Amino acid sequence: MSELALLRTEGRIATLTMNRGEARNSMSLGLLEAMHSRVDELADTDCSVLVLTGAGKSFCAGMDLKAVVIEVSGDASLGEKLLTSLAELTMKIRSLPMVTVASVNGAAIGGGCGLSCVCDVTVSHKDAKVGFPEVDLGLCPAVIAPWVVAKMGAGRARMAMLMGGIMSGTRGHELGLIDYLAADREGLESLTTEIAERLASGGPKALAATKDLLNVIDGTVDPAMVLRGAKLSAGVLGTAEAQAVLMARLG
Amino acid sequence: MIKVHTKNLVTTITLDRGEKRNAMLPSMLVDFEAAVRGISEDTKAVVVLGAGKVFCAGFDLKVCAADETGETMRALLTGLSSCVVAMRECVVPVVLGVHGCAIAGGCAMLGGADVVVADRGAKLGYPVVKIGVSPAVSAAFLMSAVPAGAGRALMLDPGLIDGVRCFELGLVHELVEGAGDVKGRAMEMAGVLAGKPGVGVRATKGLLNELTEGVAGRAGEGLGVSLSRVGSDEEREMLGELWG
Repeated sequence: MSELALLRTEGRIATLTMNRGEARNSMSLGLLEAMHSRVDELADTDCSVLVLTGAGKSFCAGMDLKAVVIEVSGDASLGEKLLTSLAELTMKIRSLPMVTVASVNGAAIGGGCGLSCVCDVTVSHKDAKVGFPEVDLGLCPAVIAPWVVAKMGAGRARMAMLMGGIMSGTRGHELGLIDYLAADREGLESLTTEIAERLASGGPKALAATKDLLNVIDGTVDPAMVLRGAKLSAGVLGTAEAQAVLMARLG
Repeated sequence: MIKVHTKNLVTTITLDRGEKRNAMLPSMLVDFEAAVRGISEDTKAVVVLGAGKVFCAGFDLKVCAADETGETMRALLTGLSSCVVAMRECVVPVVLGVHGCAIAGGCAMLGGADVVVADRGAKLGYPVVKIGVSPAVSAAFLMSAVPAGAGRALMLDPGLIDGVRCFELGLVHELVEGAGDVKGRAMEMAGVLAGKPGVGVRATKGLLNELTEGVAGRAGEGLGVSLSRVGSDEEREMLGELWG
């Protein structure tokens, strides 16, 4: 089986790719575990910028629905395991000393969109599909909520997470979910390179010190809150209402 | 002065003093808070609207100026703070539609809503420093909705800004072309919210309230600052000049 997460380094820039393109890079336990391992390996590099992206057409379609529908997975505890692993991954990525850039190449949905909010800079294109449709599925985006609030500001995050649905990259850019917007999918690669190289021109220690301070100022992102989010999210996920909606969605 | 109507799981609460641009009176705010806190258990979304030509022009300053004791102004500030907190604490999402204008106390109402719809040309702002009153009662909510720099400018500058600028800042989430389109879009968004599975929506709103718990917590502090200016020579003089 091919690696579910790929790490490549070039000079001071590392690129971490979610590599489960056939499933729109949705987060299975395997994908999350591979991401944890690759992020741990970053400690051995002298990179000052990390680009996070997805293989194929999608960035990350969110949780692997097959894993969280109990009737399909046959394991009622898998949902919480996944959510806890995602919660730990978000904190691990946020506390990296390097500047992180989410290059949102395609759909970034739910937890996938949350993962982009953990990054320091988000780059995408007009036609990317982003958003938080958790509430449409009877779920609560609790793990990623603190990161979304920190990224978009509390008011917009409130609206986006309650209204649910999916929006275009253009709308995501207007709402502060995306910092830089390429005209199309083709333009994203060069825009990402341009921004990553510009970031890498900064002093690694100055970048790390600045990021560290910004993490402190972001008082909302409390590890206990993120981990508690996993429990809350798993609780809602386990309700009959959510399971029925998810089952219907899987068809 | 408050009209409540429930249909298709959506409760609409309307400020109903259109002939006075929905200028707020203490009893109106008491009734508004009661309406928000009293929504039926099967309500899945709340819509707040204003009757007539505009959403709300703020406090009824004529009545405030006529009350030498300052009690009317104090009751309005206290009532306003309670209304905003009630919307924030409401277990289901609150959609608020601003058509025409939301000024001072009217603009403060946006703080409690989860989703705000406005027309592009709507006029919004907190010009109350012009009558010697502090808009501090709105500060905690405003500062959590927009970047701190913009919030600071908006609180201290008595000028008004339009719907487009409010959308850019994040105070408004959805823009419509004309004032006449606001109600329809607000009802439509509430319908979308009401169509979602309820458990996840309630849990999500509860979590967001928890993540921003300092906001409602600091509402009292802001109210205190606003109340402290009422009855001051500055306020009596400036309010009197405007309405005396």
